[in-house]
Amino acid sequence: MGKKKAIISGITGQDGSYLAELLLKKEYEVHGIIRRASTFNTKRVDHLYRDPHESGVNFFLHYGDMTDSSSMSRLIEKVKPDEIYNLAAQSHVKISFEVPEYTAETDALGTLRMLDAIKETGIKTRFYQASTSELYGKAREFPQTELTPFYPRSPYAVAKLYAFWIVVNYREAYNLYAGNGILFNHESPRRGENFVTRKITRAAVAIKEGVQDCLYVGNLDAKRDWGYAPDYVYAMWLMLQQDKPDDYVIATGETHTVREFIEKSFSHLGISIKWGGKGIEEKGIDKENGKVIVQVDPKYFRPTEVEHLIGDPSKACKELGWEPEVKFEQLVEIMTDADLEILKKKIANKKI
Amino acid sequence: MRKIALITGINGQDGSYLTELLLEKGYDVHGIDRRSSQFNRGRIEDTRQEAQKRGQVFELYYGDISDFSSICRIFSNCKPTEIYNFASQSHVAISFEEPAHTTDVNANGVLRLLEAMRYFAVEGCRFYQASTSELFGNAPETPQNENSPFHPRSPYGVAKLYAYWIVKNYREHYGIHACNGILYNHESPRRGENFVTRKITYSLARIKAGRQDVLKLGNIDAQRDWGFAKEYIEVMWKMLQNEQADDYVIATGETHTVREFIEKASAIAGFDIEWEGKGVEEKGRDKKSGNIIVEIDPKFYRPEEKTILCGDASKAKRVLGWKPKTTFGQLVEMMMKADLELIDSGK
Repeated sequence: MGKKKAIISGITGQDGSYLAELLLKKEYEVHGIIRRASTFNTKRVDHLYRDPHESGVNFFLHYGDMTDSSSMSRLIEKVKPDEIYNLAAQSHVKISFEVPEYTAETDALGTLRMLDAIKETGIKTRFYQASTSELYGKAREFPQTELTPFYPRSPYAVAKLYAFWIVVNYREAYNLYAGNGILFNHESPRRGENFVTRKITRAAVAIKEGVQDCLYVGNLDAKRDWGYAPDYVYAMWLMLQQDKPDDYVIATGETHTVREFIEKSFSHLGISIKWGGKGIEEKGIDKENGKVIVQVDPKYFRPTEVEHLIGDPSKACKELGWEPEVKFEQLVEIMTDADLEILKKKIANKKI
Repeated sequence: MRKIALITGINGQDGSYLTELLLEKGYDVHGIDRRSSQFNRGRIEDTRQEAQKRGQVFELYYGDISDFSSICRIFSNCKPTEIYNFASQSHVAISFEEPAHTTDVNANGVLRLLEAMRYFAVEGCRFYQASTSELFGNAPETPQNENSPFHPRSPYGVAKLYAYWIVKNYREHYGIHACNGILYNHESPRRGENFVTRKITYSLARIKAGRQDVLKLGNIDAQRDWGFAKEYIEVMWKMLQNEQADDYVIATGETHTVREFIEKASAIAGFDIEWEGKGVEEKGRDKKSGNIIVEIDPKFYRPEEKTILCGDASKAKRVLGWKPKTTFGQLVEMMMKADLELIDSGK
């Protein structure tokens, strides 16, 4: 059997870049789909890219878009992949309230277009769908398993709910090998800078180095089940190596508050925080010098907060033999250290 | 305050009954009509002419819920106080043939209407979404109520599930008065001719008149909860009159098989049907003439149905005081007689 081939949509994102690394390590030929933009958007995978004229190149990028069916069919027809990972999405919950229709076009219809392209080309390939804990939203049981009823609370989540069910339908109606990975939050040094964890670690190191005064956040007591993205992309790959396709919850099974994340990140940098005030008046103060370094800005509150989301990954542990390796404390340390290094380089290069 | 209704899907079975009901109640009625090269206003044309004679407002606009700007323009023009969204690609089997179109209309179309409402509708405008028992699909429990888990089984069902949740989200986030009516099958003489009930009565009438030989169907042991469309329309209106917006299951709570439907309808049409054979070989013979009038065609089979879709409408009864009156037997009789008359009149 020849080399395995994979197509990854959303390859320029956090998960896409880690998955590409994992698959290249496993000697796959990796094809990524990128959207054309006038600004560079490939920085997370630039280190993997080699000129296709060289010999032995295993990594290719193609222009395409989830709103363009023909580009998908063409690529599937051309590459004839063994595995397709659909990670492309408008992935920001809050922004989905601003662009609900675009979010549905990409996250819901985009998934359908891809499944339909697989069905129509008749190419035998396995399909992974990036599903999400946001499906549970106003969760009705704790922790959440594959059997917990859904209650999506944003245009993002409703679009992802459509995608979840259309995957199940194509599996049941056409026997496609297709599965949903219901991933809880997963973070890393490559997390987008407007997601709360990355925002915290970037601000913490900037405050430590004296180039920023204060971190502004929304709900300090929001609880999340945060895992480490490289552990989670490994679970995606495992899902497509099983005899039968299925849907799996991927989570750590632990939750922590935004407040704990902030405390941990600062304490890793040697700063301890004292909290004062209540509600939107609450502030985090640097114990040593009395400066206000954390404040609440209601602008970051979600229109409707999702409840306490905590995943139960027992099915994945049992059937896939998967375990999350990096837990909360280590995750915060990895992210804080990485942002500290980036900032120090910038300072050294006089970019700040 | 003047009551102004806007109905999408006004040319459909439900749209036409609702139009009549609202005109009776003194509403101005506006409808969205998709441009087609064929005349598609058959179900409402008479009503429209009569309304105009009486001096009532009944306007139609060209538009499409896949076209956001057309929605905005129509909202601005007619300033509705109630919007009823019946527009959809409403055929389950066809949704497997055109899943993307079905999604664009049945899912994204609803989102477009809700977004347009936020900016172009009058304050307090209310919204009704035509939701469906297809959301339950392979539901693990029978009968289903508003709390039963969903398990859609077709692109149609999945698109309608998106619509259900986006309605609920807009109600919870933006405080829009928006309701989902989770309606079980509802039939009438105006039902489309490619839906099983109407196909039976229409075909039997044609066979009776010697214009068709045989009626071909899929699984005749499939069970459905069939109600009378006109009664289901009344409850939609009630939902929007209630102070609190909510979601309701609307059903009869009884199921019957396709076979029972055929037996009752054929008796009314004057056949004496007798079954012979099994499975795909099963046939229905008219004892009087000796002719085979019903055959099985596996082409019409749906994917295996593990669940019986049967609705529990007790919430609608409790909160809205609604309950279905027309029995199954009356429904079949009404539809069969209407088609006998239709064919008789030469149409």
